[in-house]
Amino acid sequence: MTGEFRKWPEFSWLSDTDTWKSAEKITAGIDIGTTSSQAAVFADDELFGYASIHTGADFTLAANTVIAKALASSALSVGDIGTIAATGFGRRNVLYATKTQDEISCIAKGARFIYGPAVTTVLDMGGQTTKAILLHEWDRVREFEVSDKCATGMGRHIETAAEILRVPLTEMGDRSLETENDPEPVSTTCFNFAYSEMMSLFREGYKEDMYKENEVIASYLFAVAWRILGTVGKLAPLDIGDIKIKEVLGFTGGLAKNKGITKRIERELNITAIEGKHDPQLAAAIGAALLA
Amino acid sequence: MKTFKEILENRHAYAKSWKAKTGRKVLGFYDTYFPEEVAYAAGLMPVRILAEHEADDVTDRLMYGNCYCTRDMLNQFARGRYDYIDGLVSIESCQWWYNAFDTTLIMFPDLFSHYLFTPDYLDARTSKDVMRSELSVFAERLEEWLGTKITDEKLDDAINVYNKNRALLRRIYELRRFDTPVILGSETMEIMLANQVMDKAEANVMLESLLSDIEKREPYQDCVRLMLLGSETYDVSLERLVESLGANVVVDELDNGTGCIANDVIPLKDRLMAIGLRYLGKPHSALKDSIWRRRQERIFQLYEDWQADGVIIAKQIYCHPHGTDMYAVWKLLRERNIPYITFERDTTLPQEETRLAVEGLISQIEPGRTRIAGWSRSGAKTG
Repeated sequence: MTGEFRKWPEFSWLSDTDTWKSAEKITAGIDIGTTSSQAAVFADDELFGYASIHTGADFTLAANTVIAKALASSALSVGDIGTIAATGFGRRNVLYATKTQDEISCIAKGARFIYGPAVTTVLDMGGQTTKAILLHEWDRVREFEVSDKCATGMGRHIETAAEILRVPLTEMGDRSLETENDPEPVSTTCFNFAYSEMMSLFREGYKEDMYKENEVIASYLFAVAWRILGTVGKLAPLDIGDIKIKEVLGFTGGLAKNKGITKRIERELNITAIEGKHDPQLAAAIGAALLA
Repeated sequence: MKTFKEILENRHAYAKSWKAKTGRKVLGFYDTYFPEEVAYAAGLMPVRILAEHEADDVTDRLMYGNCYCTRDMLNQFARGRYDYIDGLVSIESCQWWYNAFDTTLIMFPDLFSHYLFTPDYLDARTSKDVMRSELSVFAERLEEWLGTKITDEKLDDAINVYNKNRALLRRIYELRRFDTPVILGSETMEIMLANQVMDKAEANVMLESLLSDIEKREPYQDCVRLMLLGSETYDVSLERLVESLGANVVVDELDNGTGCIANDVIPLKDRLMAIGLRYLGKPHSALKDSIWRRRQERIFQLYEDWQADGVIIAKQIYCHPHGTDMYAVWKLLRERNIPYITFERDTTLPQEETRLAVEGLISQIEPGRTRIAGWSRSGAKTG
């Protein structure tokens, strides 16, 4: 495998102002995930810079690289940042962090920043885990669920699927939506069953036909969406009081950019997710910076 | 003196040494509904079969589909870990346990074995008579196997030893009620697990000494207090993970935790009936909580009594009793606004995913945490 199909574009942004010089408080949030790493820098609660990169095998190297990219050409250095909160799987590898923060709180806080106060249900779909979070009307977590073992590593393995199918990861979602009738999902028992069934279809010669190939991708991503819905479903297994999936849903995490997954989740939940003002992959880093 | 932790970690060596020292036999069992007193009165040391985490190349061929705990129990027999066991007993309980029992006997047909029926409907009118009758059959089989008579005096002695054992363990649990407990959740579970593989008379001596030592301990700091529910666990990795995050498991509702020490044998002239009533009257396990549902209220009572702030439900994957029980527990917790997390595990704990969820739970609890009327170490109320 060459790795060319699994790649997604890294990105960064830096404010063209120098507001940080007069800022009373500069904070940063570093989210080191299994697949991607993000950094967000705030000057007096205003977003000043951010970056997202592939994590790779070395969490410490990823932590050092991502903050350097977020600060980019600014004259700001890590030493100028008052508090740096690390979160994500590799949070303990952020050697320059001044504190660590749990992912659930960070994602919840970051989602409110990205989607505004209206968002009440956050669905974070990352490389390793899926988290479904219900928020109070105010800025607190009401309830949350984390995916079980049968869905662990799902996000990361979609990259592997892209590589094996030789379909660019960034195109998978759109390609899966090009089918005339959305096919049934492949096995929804667990993500590994889905993966193996998808591979069986692939071996049966579906690669020969572009349209059929799209169907295989659609079936596979539908199964992934189904596993994610399993986590969401546990949030509201009972209709008790006002605890139920609210209609204002916001997606976060890397898979939030895969329309083949988000559109199917929206369709099954009969909800249209709201649009955010920032990249949903930044949610945990933004939240960490705000909680720092 | 040996510690409970050492005995738990070297439980096979402990049992072998006990056999060499006493010249008596060891009887393996699976479920806490097994009436140990009868076996103890017959001169046996009942040893609970505990799961471990070990690479398993045996059970896929023999009982695929079982939960990993019971698969590992069979795996350990196949690997010879339990080569000192002389007999094996299963009771009417979880189907996976029965599969492990049945398959073990296929592999080791020379073991003494007995299947003891304990009524599924514990509170039914006829249950006590059925249980009494089953205990009588079991006692007769033991007498025949060992060539000994299980007298009333021997049963009385066993009842006293086991009642004392449960009372001492309850005292350990009581120490966890304080705002600043002197014993951690991981330490308690180590004691509970070791106790299940020990000679109870020796365990009682160790517990008395431990309780006296604990009194001199500096208490741990007040922190987020959690309750543990779900399938049985056979190690303390979850409790330790919770402690590493600055919280503490202060109480549980596990079959091998509070579930097996909650009540005693009340002496009756008919000793077997007295023992039977104790097991029928113990808190319902998830499997036996059918028709007359009692677990929810008990869970809530324990939650309140130990002033827990939140709940962790850890279910073993493929554990069907807890899979069906969880729905009722969720309902209770949600209706009463109790923060909780649920996850599945096998004999290992997925460390990072679990850490993520436990950290989230602690963060959810901490800001609103209050101690309205806690209890200090001395037993006096604090404001």
